[in-house]
This record gives sequence, structure tokens and C-alpha cells, in this order.
Amino acid sequence: MQWEIWARLGWLEVKRRYRRTVIGPFWSAVSICIFVFALGSVGSSLFHRTAADYMPFLASGMVVWVLLSNTITESCDLFIDGANLFRQLRFNYSVLAYALIWRTMIGFLHNLVVYVGVALIYAPAFLSPVTLLVLPSLFAIALNGVWIAIAIGMLCQRFRDVQQLVSITLQLAMFVTPIFWSPGFVPEHGTRFFVVLVNPLYYLVEIVRAPLLGQVPSLATVLGVLLITVVGWLVTYQLFRRYRKRIAYWS
Amino acid sequence: MARVEVKDISIDFPVYGVQRSLRKAFFERAAGGIIRRAGRRQAQTVVNALDRVSLTLEDDDRVGIIGHNGAGKTTLLKAIAGIYEPIAGEVRIEGKVTPLFDVLPGLDFDDTGYENIVTAGILLGMTRRDIRAAVPQIEAFSELGDYLSLPVRTYSEGMMTRLGFSVATTVEPGILLIDEGIATGDARFGERAARRMAEFIGRSSILVLASHDEDFIQRACNKAILMRAGRIIERGSVDEVLRLYRQSRQDDVGPARAGTT
Repeated sequence: MQWEIWARLGWLEVKRRYRRTVIGPFWSAVSICIFVFALGSVGSSLFHRTAADYMPFLASGMVVWVLLSNTITESCDLFIDGANLFRQLRFNYSVLAYALIWRTMIGFLHNLVVYVGVALIYAPAFLSPVTLLVLPSLFAIALNGVWIAIAIGMLCQRFRDVQQLVSITLQLAMFVTPIFWSPGFVPEHGTRFFVVLVNPLYYLVEIVRAPLLGQVPSLATVLGVLLITVVGWLVTYQLFRRYRKRIAYWS
Repeated sequence: MARVEVKDISIDFPVYGVQRSLRKAFFERAAGGIIRRAGRRQAQTVVNALDRVSLTLEDDDRVGIIGHNGAGKTTLLKAIAGIYEPIAGEVRIEGKVTPLFDVLPGLDFDDTGYENIVTAGILLGMTRRDIRAAVPQIEAFSELGDYLSLPVRTYSEGMMTRLGFSVATTVEPGILLIDEGIATGDARFGERAARRMAEFIGRSSILVLASHDEDFIQRACNKAILMRAGRIIERGSVDEVLRLYRQSRQDDVGPARAGTT
């Protein structure tokens, strides 16, 4: 069964990474936690926001950002690391992508503890039935994660420079995407166009962050994610259809 | 009924060097048009691993592939397995294929023997239930006892081989593809392994075996092909093909052709 393969591979990778540590994947949560409290104390005064308002905003943004950036970063190695499997066995390449999404989601669930903790401390009211909308949002992220993994995985496997470009881009994206600050901070004409309106990462962060903060995602966010999903899948499908055969040769 | 039909397939391996990276492709693209294609053809080095190979196998065929290193034996097996899709020609398979190139796929040295049995089993296409049913058999045959509860990194090489062999041979083989014979550890195990191997091969519908071990091929196969430089140059009975192989070995040592296309 295919799902047994990706569930196993994804889980094995999580285990492998945190082998013989006491708190395992919670190490990533610890790092986010330190980051949120350090930046939160500076940021709330910098942006003139109360801790009750800013801390949950920052924590939710970071938790979602880490999910996205992990998915993208690890996509670079998808077919490079996967080579020793698919060069030995007949393999559906998409299984590797599912395994990657599965393990980044496992990581996300651990990191979510940070947000829940922060929300309970600063603004328990954010955790409402609306928060459950996070489930369909995560499904949307997983759906996009699969095409991202396959597309970036193929590009990085064929052109090894892409991996470096991706890591530079992500570093930059963390600051220009509204994660530490709200989109309202940048002028509506000009900057906001680039960092918000045409920044796909903004929509992907926002669709999960909104329900975490007890809000229904805006129509613009939902439409944005829908567009990203459709375009991403169409492009990846063409790419995959055309070059799938070459993947075994590129490794 | 199982069937393997390989029709006129060719496989080239591109050799990617430092210069063939994004920068080059980007500039080539920028240059545009027909020149890019011509330039690209000349720039790209390829190794031609299979050259118009055809082969048809039916139920109860046990074929040994014989040839020097680099003759294309492994590539042919991997093409039949569907790992490498040929650039020309086609491969048609009826039935389930079990490629046994890596007997413990997904091996994790920090996992216990039992956990690795599950991982390998799943990757080799078994269901959880099949695996659970096979565990007592694997325990008995591998004779690893309590070691199965320890991380695999504590195993000696012989123990690893025993584990891998025991797991691999529990799979329902169908069309079985074996590369270089699954090495078998110590002498005492060797004898039992040979028996289990024979029984395992007996369960398969078709066997394709690439090996340098002439005895193994003689024992397991009922026909053979001789490959050289990516082509099948002889096919026939095992004895006949082996004789030709020994002869050719005296004549020359033919490395794989490498060239630029």
C-alpha cells in the first residue's frame, strides 16, 4: 500500500533526526519559543503593540513560517536523498513528496504547542471554534506542499545551484513576508504590492494564521491560495509529465 | 501468466559535470533557437549503457545474464524493473516484478532488526499483515535470536547478510530480478541459504539473474544471454553461453563504450 510506504518513510526520518534526544521534535518548538519571546519583547515596543496582541500574532506567524520554510528547504533534497530508494526499487516518485509533507506536518504539530501556550498566556479568547478552520487550511498547505516538493525537488536535482538560490530566497522571504509585522505597516502603493499582494508565501502563511488567531481567513486569502494551488499544480504536472523519466538519470 | 517483453530498448546515461549546471542552461536558453540544440548535443557526454536490446521472457524462464563489468547487465535489470525508462524502445511487463537489488531497502542502522524488517517489507511491497506473518519465519531462518531487538548497527556483517537474505526471500517473488546473487554469509548458513534460495526461485514465475558466479547461474538458470558493450551478443543454453563467455574472456576484456553523441 502506498500510504504505508510514505507514512513509514516520513516517520522514520523524524525518528532518525531526533534519535537519542530526550524531547525529540520538541527541540524545534524550543527554538521557536526562544525566538518568539526574544523577538516578541522587542517587537511589541517597536511596532507599538501590546503583548496580548503582538505575541500570539508573532507566535502563529513563526509556527506557520517554519512549516513552510521546512517544506521548501527539504524539497531541495527530495530526489537527491531519495535516489538510493528509487534506484533500487520501482517507486512512485510522489510517495517521496507525501513522506516529506507528512514529516513536516509532524514537526508542525509539535511546534504548535508554542502557539497554544502563547495564546493561553496572552489571549485565550483566540482559541475558539473558529480555530478549527485550521484543519482545512492545513489540508490546503499539504496540497500545495506536494507540488512544491516535486517541482523544487526536480529543479534542485537537475540543477544543483537551485538549492543555494532557494536558501537565499527563503532567508530574505522571512523578513519581507509579513510575519513579524502586519501588512498595514508598509505603504499601500509600492512596497505592499510586492511583499503582500504578489507574494505567494503571504497567502500560504495567512490562511493558517488567521484561524489560529480566531479569525476566518479573508476572501482574498482564500482566493489567493486557490490560485496558487491551481497554477502550482498545473505547472508541476507539466514539468513532471515531461521529465519524470529523467529523474532516475539525474541522480 | 507472467511475461516480460523488452523491445529494442536503448539507454544513455548523461554525465553531468560542473559546467552543466543552471548557469549554462540559462545562457544557452538566452542564446535561443537552433544553435542551442546543436551546441547542447556536442556539449553533453553520455554513456550508452544499452543499445537496441530485445528480450522476451515467459513463465518458467530462468535467464542468466552474463557479461563483463560494464556490459549493461545491471542496466538491463533496472530497465525491466521500471527504474530506468528507456530513451528508445519499450518494456512491457505482465505480472508483479520484484527487484532484489537492495535486500534491505530503507535500512536504518539505529533501528532494531524487527523495525528494519517492517521497513524493508513495506518497501518490497508486503502489507503489514504479510510482514507479521513472515516474522516467525525470519526469526527462525536468520537465527539472530535476541539480536533482532537490538539496533542493526550492533550486527556483524554476516548477521546483516542473514537478516537481509531472510527478509528478501519471504517476499512473494512473481517476476524476480536479482543482481550479482544475494551474497550469503558464513559456510553453515551458506548451505541452508542455497536451499532457501532454490525454493525462493522456484516460487517465482520468471527469473532474471545477473551474476559473475557461474555455478550459481548453472544451478538456477535454464537459459542465458551474453552481453557486451550494451548489446546482447549471444543467447541460448547456459552451457553454450558460458562457454562463449569464457572464450571471450580470453580474447579481450571489453570495457563499456563511452562516447559523445
